Amino acid sequence: MHSGQLKRKLADLGIEGNNPKLTESFCLIGTPLPPLEKSKDTGEFVPLWKQEVRDEQGRRRLHGAFTGGFSAGYFNTVGSKEGWAPSTFVSSRSDRASKKQARPEDFMDEEDLEAARDDRKLVDTHEEMDLLGGTQAELGTRGGDVQNDSIASALESMIPSTKDSAGSLLLRKMGWKPGQGIGPRIPYKQLILQDQQSSSRPFEPPKDVDEDDPANKHLYAPRDTKVLLFQRKDNSFGLGYNPGLNLQQSVDGRTTSVSDNGPNISAGFGLGALNDADDDDVDVYDGGSRGGGRRLAFDEEEKDQDDHIVMGRPGQASQQETLNRRPASSSTFSDGRPLLPGFVLSDKPVSEDTWFPVPEIPKDWTPDPRRVWSQDVKQEDKENVPAKPSFVHPSRRGAFAVTLTADERGAALGEARLPATPKSVFDYLAPKDRERLQNLATTTSLTTVEVPDDSQAPDEALIPHTDPAVARAALSGFQPFTSNPDKQARYTSYLQSQASPGETALLPRRGQNREEFTHELREFAKSALIFKPSSGALGGRFATASIQDLGSKPKEGLYTPSVDGLREDSSVSETPKEPEEEPKRRAARLGMFGALTRETKPWAPAKLLCKRFGVKGPEVEAPPLMASGVAAEPEWKPDLSAGPPIGALGAGPSEETVAAATASFRSGPTAKKDISNIGLGDDDDQGRDVLEYTRPERDIFKAIFASDDESSEDEAETAPAATAEAAPTPSDLPESVPNNVPASIVPAHPSAAPSSAPLYEPSTSSTLGNTPVDISTFRPTFVSRSDRTKDAPSRKEQKEKDKKESKKKGKGKAILSFETDDLQIVPTRSDSPDKERRKKKRKKEKRDDGKVSEDVPMEDDDMWVEKPPPATVNTTDEPVVPCFPDTDLEQDKPTKDPHRGRKRAVDFL
Amino acid sequence: MPPSPVPPRTLHQTLAGHVGPTHVVRYAKGAGKYVMSGGQDRTVRLWKPQTGSQIQVYKGHGYEVYGLSVAHDNAKFASSGGDRSVFIWDVKTGQTIRRIPGHASKINTVEFNYDASVVASGSYDATVRLWDLRATSRQAIQVLEEARDAIQTIYVGPTQIISGSVDGHVRTYDLRMGELRADCLGPPVTSVLPTKDSQTILACTLDSTVRLMDMETGKLLNSFTSHKTESYRCRACFDAEERNVLCGDEEGRIWAWDLVDGKPLGPGTTGPPKVHEKVVLWIEHHVSDNELVSASADGTVKVWRGDSDR
Repeated sequence: MHSGQLKRKLADLGIEGNNPKLTESFCLIGTPLPPLEKSKDTGEFVPLWKQEVRDEQGRRRLHGAFTGGFSAGYFNTVGSKEGWAPSTFVSSRSDRASKKQARPEDFMDEEDLEAARDDRKLVDTHEEMDLLGGTQAELGTRGGDVQNDSIASALESMIPSTKDSAGSLLLRKMGWKPGQGIGPRIPYKQLILQDQQSSSRPFEPPKDVDEDDPANKHLYAPRDTKVLLFQRKDNSFGLGYNPGLNLQQSVDGRTTSVSDNGPNISAGFGLGALNDADDDDVDVYDGGSRGGGRRLAFDEEEKDQDDHIVMGRPGQASQQETLNRRPASSSTFSDGRPLLPGFVLSDKPVSEDTWFPVPEIPKDWTPDPRRVWSQDVKQEDKENVPAKPSFVHPSRRGAFAVTLTADERGAALGEARLPATPKSVFDYLAPKDRERLQNLATTTSLTTVEVPDDSQAPDEALIPHTDPAVARAALSGFQPFTSNPDKQARYTSYLQSQASPGETALLPRRGQNREEFTHELREFAKSALIFKPSSGALGGRFATASIQDLGSKPKEGLYTPSVDGLREDSSVSETPKEPEEEPKRRAARLGMFGALTRETKPWAPAKLLCKRFGVKGPEVEAPPLMASGVAAEPEWKPDLSAGPPIGALGAGPSEETVAAATASFRSGPTAKKDISNIGLGDDDDQGRDVLEYTRPERDIFKAIFASDDESSEDEAETAPAATAEAAPTPSDLPESVPNNVPASIVPAHPSAAPSSAPLYEPSTSSTLGNTPVDISTFRPTFVSRSDRTKDAPSRKEQKEKDKKESKKKGKGKAILSFETDDLQIVPTRSDSPDKERRKKKRKKEKRDDGKVSEDVPMEDDDMWVEKPPPATVNTTDEPVVPCFPDTDLEQDKPTKDPHRGRKRAVDFL
Repeated sequence: MPPSPVPPRTLHQTLAGHVGPTHVVRYAKGAGKYVMSGGQDRTVRLWKPQTGSQIQVYKGHGYEVYGLSVAHDNAKFASSGGDRSVFIWDVKTGQTIRRIPGHASKINTVEFNYDASVVASGSYDATVRLWDLRATSRQAIQVLEEARDAIQTIYVGPTQIISGSVDGHVRTYDLRMGELRADCLGPPVTSVLPTKDSQTILACTLDSTVRLMDMETGKLLNSFTSHKTESYRCRACFDAEERNVLCGDEEGRIWAWDLVDGKPLGPGTTGPPKVHEKVVLWIEHHVSDNELVSASADGTVKVWRGDSDR
């Protein structure tokens, strides 16, 4: 708008619009904005594709819509209405490994990337261009082998090399150019000198240089000193050996390199094998083959061209020169070739190997290795028979010619044997001496004869070496083969031979072949190393066992029984057993039972076992107890072991209590003493006594305070006692008679029938009176039944009957016990065998009637067996008898009781 | 001294129920009104010898039953056999109360102690193991490992445990003394039974001999021969009065000897009649009556009674 007005004004002023001054751009930096007028909507028709969207400020919008860029698409933002948003935080905790370092490229768009790429390219090309010279120089400094290959060097030049070092940059600034030596410029003379030195050419006084030579007028940069390149020696050839050369070539000091044949033919197309190389084909870039890669404007070699033509490397040329230059020392081989420097011709001719022509192989010969093998075998058999030539045509050798010795032939011809048989020493001996010698030989034949046989091979080589010091130490150290004395002896002899070499000779054992022998020696050497006593502080702490381990040693390998082995085995296996087992068994076999067959040793029963058995453990046994126990034991013992198993007693609470009870009863007047002793010594009994003492009390309390309905099992136990009191009705009696037991026996019982009833009363009364008072004298333990009986009278009869009922209930549980005869129904377990129960009850009542003491334990023998009714004690003469009120117990008595009266009690059950 | 009682020779009952050999038969404790038998057929049976009726069959063993022991109160019993565990049964319910594993091999014999708080088991693995029945511990109270061969028989006394082993030894473990007395008899011992006074011990060995040994000194008091026990376990026992010695035979006879003079008692001069078809594996005398039960490989248990005295 403004520019248009301006133009018009200017035009008015007479200034042409074409004036370049008008279009002069003052925009120095950046791209000038498009002319404003263009952004103005002129209202002209513009085809759609030419239309441009512009904003109020005339800026072009949506320019990327069709050209593909998104960079300024939406509101001139990066692609979204909101613009570019920073990436949201993503925790990298879980995937640290996959997290990449953010690079600048990540934040660049395509344009940036392209620009960056362009930038990089620019930089690279720059560097390359800068370095071109340097790289070439560097290539020049490389080894000769690179120079040899033009293609390689050419290729190498293409590869951008490393940047110049700071040093080279500095040098360059100081005027140095790559390829030149370092140092002040030198005149031509010196340069030639340098060349000579560097080419290792023998010193040659520089020829007179023309002062007018233009070369002399300049100073030259010194020659570059070659970097010493050492080739790695990665082969196994000798130094200076060239693998590719044959002897001739290496002697000549020449390699059949390409350079010998002429200038390098440039590699490439177009030159077939048949074509001759033209000048055009010569590799013009091949700088390596001549001139050491240096070219000068004035090549000094040209001067010598007329003298001699040098081909190949300068070094080689110089070699030839040296050869030529030493005529004095030089001599030639017979064929005219010059001798190598430093070598002299030998005066003696070399002895030549004589070669014989291969024997003629007969035409019809076929290889048959078996023939050869069989020959070998034969040879082994008869050592002294001379070997016959193996490759002889059968037709050519006579049937006997080869196989027969002269003697054999003679024998075959029937000639008399020649007298000149080799005489042995024995022939010169007197016959007596000979005999004696033979005797000696037979006695020692086993050793003397076989040893040389085995030791044909050199033994020395087979014997492993052991350091004398080690051997000496091992001799004094642990002896590893004590179980095998033979081997141990051999081991020691080996060690001795090693400790003092040369003194004793090692010979293999008889029947031991060489391999075994060497193997054994090797084993010895090893064990000597192992078992030499440890030096230092530990050394003195170990002592060799004084007892030799002579136990049977397992044999290696498969067991093959042999007669000897069998004998050995049996002797070995039996010997250890014999001293232990045999005497006993022999004694047993001979019937000498007793001390010989008995073996007594201490045995510690487990504590718990003792406890369960109710026995004092042996270790706990205290002396005072022993004293008392000894007196009591012989008396108890029969009682304790009376029943085949103890359980036969009908099972009391515990055995000891029974014992104690019996003891206490038996001891009679001395009861007090015993009781006190036992009470002090035996805690278990004491505790049980107390327990049992308290129990009846509880019953008493229950009987007193509990209501009649509350009848527990405990009361059921007491019930039998109660039943004793209850008078059996006469009607019950017949029913109660057991099926199998004759009723007549019941009254026949000696102790029970007459005595129990009257005697019973006093006992109850006495216990009634005594329990509170006389605890110390009478053991409360055994009061159970009497206590109950004591309770009974105090109760009313009705109560007792109730208790009977309850007892029946309790009995229902125990219905299967073997004690009762009525148990035939047992497995069925009828719900209410009232009749049965009543029967039982009545039976019991009846029994109670007869003999209270026996019946009670039968009901609940587990708990109350032990208590013997004191009454019976008094009645019977023998104190032992009443001790076993239980019916079951009575079975035991017959052993002691001659009358066997107790059996009747058994019959009841 | 009254003459020794006549051994029970009258067949009272035959308890036939086992299939296969009956290995063991034991009287119940107490009055001994019942017997239990265990056999190859993996069952334990409860009989009433009086009537010959079978009361209960206890099935639970997976293998043959070799040993039985009835508890003092007859409420439970223990059995053992090829199962390698001791079974404790409830007599009433016929259920196992406890199964005690621990032996490495079949168990030849079990025995309760006097109050059934401990059960001892002797096994083919040459050990006697004592198990606590009060506690529920799975470990044996003690393992008696002195035997070098299978244990064939155990007797558990009040203060001692006696074991007989195939290694020919009778070992007496005295709890009071803390002492082990090993008596070498030589041939394998198949049964041990002390007398009631614990002074002597009756041992049956596989050299067809029953020996009466003195427990104190280990001396031989008497030996009873002329029967044949060479390869089967058989039990020797006393009669109720310990006047006679009884033992089964591999020919199916039941021998009886007078304890003192060691002469065989029997109806015939050539020995007792053959009463079992096969080898007699166990005999046990009633604790008081003149009654005898014998178990045999023919699968029967026979109850014998003396005909004279009652």
